[in-house]
Amino acid sequence: MVMFFQQILNGLTLGSVYSLVALGLTLIYGILHIPNFSHGALYMVGAYFAYFFAGSLGVPYWGAMAGAAVVVALLAVASERLVFRPLRGAPVLHDMIAAIGLLLFLEAVVQAIWGADFHRLQSPHTQIVHLFGLVAPAQRLLIVAAAFALMLGLHLFLQRTVMGSTIIAMAQDREGAALVGIDASRVSMVTFAISGALAAVAAVLFAPISLVYPAMGDLVILKAFVIIILGGMGSLPGAILGGMVIGFAESFGAFYISTNYKDIIAFALFVLIMSVRPSGLFPGGVR
Amino acid sequence: MLRLDGLTLHYGQFRALDRVSLHAGPGELVVMLGANGAGKSSLFLAISGLRKLSAGSIRFNEREVARDKPSDIVASGIVHCPEGRKLFPGMSVAKNLMLGAYVHRRDRRGSDALIDRVFGLFPMLHDKRNDPAGSLSGGQQQMVAIGRALMGRPQVLLLDEPSLGLAPLVVRQVLAAIKAINAEGTTVLLAEQNAYAALQIADRAYVIESGRIVMEGDRQTLLNDESIRRAYIGA
Repeated sequence: MVMFFQQILNGLTLGSVYSLVALGLTLIYGILHIPNFSHGALYMVGAYFAYFFAGSLGVPYWGAMAGAAVVVALLAVASERLVFRPLRGAPVLHDMIAAIGLLLFLEAVVQAIWGADFHRLQSPHTQIVHLFGLVAPAQRLLIVAAAFALMLGLHLFLQRTVMGSTIIAMAQDREGAALVGIDASRVSMVTFAISGALAAVAAVLFAPISLVYPAMGDLVILKAFVIIILGGMGSLPGAILGGMVIGFAESFGAFYISTNYKDIIAFALFVLIMSVRPSGLFPGGVR
Repeated sequence: MLRLDGLTLHYGQFRALDRVSLHAGPGELVVMLGANGAGKSSLFLAISGLRKLSAGSIRFNEREVARDKPSDIVASGIVHCPEGRKLFPGMSVAKNLMLGAYVHRRDRRGSDALIDRVFGLFPMLHDKRNDPAGSLSGGQQQMVAIGRALMGRPQVLLLDEPSLGLAPLVVRQVLAAIKAINAEGTTVLLAEQNAYAALQIADRAYVIESGRIVMEGDRQTLLNDESIRRAYIGA
């Protein structure tokens, strides 16, 4: 029974990280219809900047996370301005090719600067928490708590602020948004910044219990795509729930079946759910 | 107040607007008559800055606005209520209306007062204010769309086919509301296929065919014109 609850905690941890990445991806898809493969590279760059801030400059963990979030948000905005904006109006395939190009470019740059080696990002929270007879590494609890706090913050931002409403308005009707005077390029930039910051935070939360290396974002972005297709493209609750579904499937699959099949489980589940519900769990876009 | 001169618009090779010139004075209600595809919507989208002009000028309050951004055009006082309404279907009616006041977001108090006036004009929207706009009937959605445009504090209101797809009784309500808005001093440019009903409330009208203005005149002239009666009124 203890092992069962242990797997729940693991599933929540993985699910939280996946959800954060998927939220950024689905926001961009919902508003700009760009399948942003470079999102995985932003996740990776976030981990590297935190590693740089914490390791080379001696910034504390949470400060390094904030720094990485800012840097990656700016990088995401730059990618919108320099890569995706000029492609506005072009077929979606062009966006996709550009995004994959950007992914490879960023990986190559990171590899040129920091090398192809594996690095470790240290977290100050290495204690083990004993809770109701369960053993939980503090970092895992932090991941879950931070992720849920961010999701709540994002929800409040989108529902309660004027700027949040402009993002939702543009997702629901682009032309209607332009006609009330909402500036599409400003909304795009804000969306890219949020999405980049979410990816960076997810990476920095997860890095202390995994590793930092140039290709670390590849599998994550593939899974994030699986998640947003599962959840319904553009749906925010879908991204969170889809993230949890994949996180739980992986942690339980790894424990009860085999760790070797951990990554296959997500994709097998994807095929299964898609064959039953082809439009995803929550079709209908950004609300 | 609003004066278009030689407006030309292309979609690729296709010329959607061909040297369109027209004007609307303060407080006027001007109707644009024309069949589907004649260029009425293109004209309105061009005025709103959502379509790039090949040539021509748009002067509003003696200022050239033809190259301005859509958000600046709304802020300057030209507000467009589009064909197909273009509401935010998942948002509540009240939120749709408040987003209509987006360019005036620093004046929250003014917008709160204005939303009460919109509810006064369309009392039923007040009852439905917390419902998602997408759940309303076509006529009610049209009222939300007009209300949202009013929240932008228009000096000139562009209304594109507000009666499209509505039941005759609802069409009369919508047109009465438009007349009331106009009577309070807002200049209205109204595109309609429903020529007879639209001409009843118009001061003047233009007829547009294949992207060109082919006729203009006051209400009586057009109502009595034989070719207009044949083509648009069917009597």
